[in-house]
Amino acid sequence: MDLDLSDDQELFRETTARFIDARCPLPEVRRLADQAVAHDPAVIRDAGELGWFALFVPEEFGGGTVSGSPLRDAVIVAEERGRFVQPGPFVATNVVAYALAERGTREQQERYLPALASAELTGSWAISNRRGIPEAGAVRASAREGGFVLEGTAGLVSEGGAAGVFLVTAADGEGAGVTQFVVPRDAAGVDVVPLGGLDLTRRFVDVRFDGVGVGADTVVGTAGGAQPDVERQLDVAATLNLAESVGAMRRLVEITVDYAKARTAFGRPIGSFQALKHILADASLWTELSTAALDAATEAVADGRPTASEIVSIAKAYAGDAGANVAQMCLQAHGGIGFTWEHDLHFYLRRLEADRALYGDPVWHRERICRIHGLGAHGGNA
Amino acid sequence: MTTTSTISVEEFRARARAWLSDHVERKPPGAVAAITSLRGMHEFTKEQIDAERPKQKRLFEAGFAGITWPVEFGGQGLSVAHERAFIEEGAPYALPNFGIAGGTTFGVCAQVMLAHASDDFNRRHLPRMLAGDELWCQFFSEPVAGSDLAGVQTRATRDGDMWVLNGAKVWSSWAHLADVGLCLARTNWSVPKHRGLTWFGVPVHAEGVDLRVIRQINGGADFCEEFFDDVVIPDDERIGDVDQGWTVARTMLVFERGGSAVAPPKTPPDPGPLAPDLVAIAEAAGRADDPGARQLVARGHSLDFLRRVLDRRLAKSMSRSGGDAGVAAYGKLTHGTFDSERALIGMELAQGEGIAWDEPEGTGASAALTFLNGRINSIAGGSDQMQRNGISEQVLGLPREPSWDRDKPFDQVLRDAQNWDGRV
Repeated sequence: MDLDLSDDQELFRETTARFIDARCPLPEVRRLADQAVAHDPAVIRDAGELGWFALFVPEEFGGGTVSGSPLRDAVIVAEERGRFVQPGPFVATNVVAYALAERGTREQQERYLPALASAELTGSWAISNRRGIPEAGAVRASAREGGFVLEGTAGLVSEGGAAGVFLVTAADGEGAGVTQFVVPRDAAGVDVVPLGGLDLTRRFVDVRFDGVGVGADTVVGTAGGAQPDVERQLDVAATLNLAESVGAMRRLVEITVDYAKARTAFGRPIGSFQALKHILADASLWTELSTAALDAATEAVADGRPTASEIVSIAKAYAGDAGANVAQMCLQAHGGIGFTWEHDLHFYLRRLEADRALYGDPVWHRERICRIHGLGAHGGNA
Repeated sequence: MTTTSTISVEEFRARARAWLSDHVERKPPGAVAAITSLRGMHEFTKEQIDAERPKQKRLFEAGFAGITWPVEFGGQGLSVAHERAFIEEGAPYALPNFGIAGGTTFGVCAQVMLAHASDDFNRRHLPRMLAGDELWCQFFSEPVAGSDLAGVQTRATRDGDMWVLNGAKVWSSWAHLADVGLCLARTNWSVPKHRGLTWFGVPVHAEGVDLRVIRQINGGADFCEEFFDDVVIPDDERIGDVDQGWTVARTMLVFERGGSAVAPPKTPPDPGPLAPDLVAIAEAAGRADDPGARQLVARGHSLDFLRRVLDRRLAKSMSRSGGDAGVAAYGKLTHGTFDSERALIGMELAQGEGIAWDEPEGTGASAALTFLNGRINSIAGGSDQMQRNGISEQVLGLPREPSWDRDKPFDQVLRDAQNWDGRV
């Protein structure tokens, strides 16, 4: 990250890196890869003590930032996490905390925020269908006496198996409104179904809502009018996801450059062949472009600029494709060793491909750019 | 360097404002610069360039040319803050515009001279450049030496106080509109290639220079080729020491790639309106609601924003650690690869309109011209492949390719290349 870090932020970054190195280095990530939950809950609780989940939470509920800018601080953690393909519900829990801190009722904040900030409780956002399109519709909410009934299945819910609470974004049963709810995992009629997946460092679930009755006191923000909240949550989640991608890309390029300097063939380091140097120069350029885009998105969202959503979409779309391409090129530079289970490279390859699809894939974000600008016949409604 | 003047930035700004308003016409509202670069279909004439020269002379005589250059070379000996003030005050005015020749004269050639030429040389030439009497072009590349610039074969042979030049140069932008060329020639063939080069100022119209304009794929004519047949140049017109020209060339390459340290913009860029040219093509083709076309428009728009945020990141890096050809290569490679990608997006949006049209000024014809121009930045000023070498060697620290010619006398290099059998 190139946002000029303050001394406090630099210390926060170093502390984060040391914590990851001590508690969840690559061999540990690898050990967790075939477990039902990809993270160690004890490590996540200790990360909570470092403040990973407190950044968006107001001080009165046990939260706090390093710099006064929650998103900038969270991006620092996310980038370090990405460098070492860290498991655990970091983006998922933070986006729930962000939503409740911004739009939750006092009662919801008192009930959930202290537990989320300390990582006693982790959360996840249930919005999309299995394809990962971040638009309400997979779950529908119908009003009834004193509350709502939720029906449907949200797919691709990150670390939902370990989550204690879901932020549910639902389309209204009738009409085009969007309503958000905070729903405990143990609510009657909520069923969590684990999914198999590409990314060994993450677990996804379907969350099924089978006639789940929720009270009006579970509504987050305005019933039927939550779409603006959804857009802001998406900007935060996509930026943090993007920061994890950028961390992974930067580390992967470092690993590959080191390999190209050390491995010899035809009597010289393979990194002296232009065929490989040019691949690595491109991978480095795409990584720099993604980093520059991340910086722009972070600044724009943190400062609440009117163009924030557009900049996030430009950055997420570009870095989604770039991350996948960087991973492909780095595997190619490694040759056969990169295709082995023992080498760490496939953790990055899988992770970057998964990042591309999460919180809106490049195609969805490019369409969002056109919608924001009102391109086309229906543009006026954007 | 003499710095006699102690005028404050604000006094200087006030003086500039008053002078500009009395002596220079304002730009017509909404006007783009009359003379721009490398856009085919426009032919720039000697008359157009000559019409700019008196404007430059007035600027020079009023003390607003070469603001940061030393006084003894015709400059004003003031700070970059003074220069910035003048640029800001001058923005609404139709200041002299020499197009590509301006960038070459003031941005590349003069910078090389200030760093390497003798004081006598600079006293002779720099004031004439500032007065608009001398425009310079680059006699760098040759038919046999482009990316391998140190492999030039134009021969300069010493004859007493004179040098005799023979050889050929090419890709010299706007040489037909310029007065003098900054020429890289070989003065020693018995030493390795980087150690036998010397720079000269060669008048474009000197006896023995045969200059031809090259027509480009976009229909424009910005480049020339020159043939030197016993062109005689006095030793006074040499820049830097004999055989030490590669030191000078390294300075030149940093300026040519835009790698000099500049202050990054303070505020982050704004994406601005959705790629207006691409939207125009999509709308003209009735494709504004076509999901595929919308993807293309958003991709093109994203490329425009991405190159600006990258430029800002590079400027930040270079403002900390100085100009650097390796870091500058990221910017150059971005422009080289994005231009062609974006040009193809335009063609994909235009479909048939981009290959046949009834309106020469319409969106299809414009997409086609942009398509042709999309190859410029991937070659000019160092090809994409040279930028990739720069990034991988100078920034990533990857080892150089083994070179067969580095330590051999250059005349032997040429012989060996003719008999290359793939063996070392």
